[in-house]
Amino acid sequence: MTSRAIVLALAAVAGSAGCVAPQTMYHWGEYDRRVYAYHRDPLDREAWVEGLKTIILESEAQGQKVPPGIYAEYGYALQEEGRSQEALAYYQKEKAQWPEAGFFMDKMIRNASRAASPATGPPPTGPAGGLERKP
Amino acid sequence: MTLQPVSLLRIRWALSAPVLVALATACATPPSKDYSKFVAADPRSILVVPVVNNSVNVGAADYFLSTIPVPVAERGYYVFPVHLVKRVLEDDGLADASLVHGADPMRLAALFGADAVLYATIERWEAKYVLVTTQVTVEFEWVLKDGKTGDTLWRDHKALAYASDDAGGGLIGALLNAAVTKAAPDYMRLARQASGAAVADPARGGFPAGPYRPEHEADFAAVRARSGTR
Repeated sequence: MTSRAIVLALAAVAGSAGCVAPQTMYHWGEYDRRVYAYHRDPLDREAWVEGLKTIILESEAQGQKVPPGIYAEYGYALQEEGRSQEALAYYQKEKAQWPEAGFFMDKMIRNASRAASPATGPPPTGPAGGLERKP
Repeated sequence: MTLQPVSLLRIRWALSAPVLVALATACATPPSKDYSKFVAADPRSILVVPVVNNSVNVGAADYFLSTIPVPVAERGYYVFPVHLVKRVLEDDGLADASLVHGADPMRLAALFGADAVLYATIERWEAKYVLVTTQVTVEFEWVLKDGKTGDTLWRDHKALAYASDDAGGGLIGALLNAAVTKAAPDYMRLARQASGAAVADPARGGFPAGPYRPEHEADFAAVRARSGTR
């Protein structure tokens, strides 16, 4: 199976899932349920982070805009795990995609930069990260 | 003789779908609602803050908060990341939703660079268990405030009733079903409906289409024409 065929198959699956709900501008996945579950039980963090990752990957694969706030939520998940350098990249993505987030993201970027500058601290652990697909 | 089973079947069909009834469509603001401040402010970004819960159902606020961002963003506005916002507010000493609602909207907006702040308050969230159905009644208040002036741009009050009813499987089936429904009514579905209904098109008292929707200009022009503020 060529990589193109895989992408097409993924798009078909995502497309058929999208048919269930009425037409939306963005691909949200299970976002609302995940927010709820995570707020009810902070131990549910892995599912929350996985959900964010899925929204980003599927939106990007379909050439769609990642919904408002999702890059930022994911960046914060990275930051919580001590991956400040990677977090910065996602705050930048949120800002690039949504100029309205510029002011807030600049604050988050300053914050993460301070944490990122000393190359010390515990090694990053947790479910975030690894979003970059292998070539 | 043959007609009766058919009509029974039809009744079953009709009953098997969960029914959501807008009780207070009359309460919901008529189309003549004044959108002039909303249109003049022309917000691009909306800060959704934690929900205040005045009902007796402790979990209701989490349900509502989680279902607000999607319909607001789909209406064409930038919505700040609700989880991250909650954490930033907590860091700022605003851990409690009622503290957030009591804070100066201009200060909240300035923290995030938001054009407007959306407040939702649950006034009522009651589940009533009848023999074979669970009826949930919710009532809530929505207010959108301008981030620059603190003025109220929009407000709405809505009441909805959600009845889960299933006659399939005869009386025993129905009783079992009611028992299951009692244990876990689909509150997420109800919350989605309620949030969606609140921000739907201005003809139904919701938000006019925001800058990320293609009909934004037309929608705002129509509102301006109606309110005579050109």
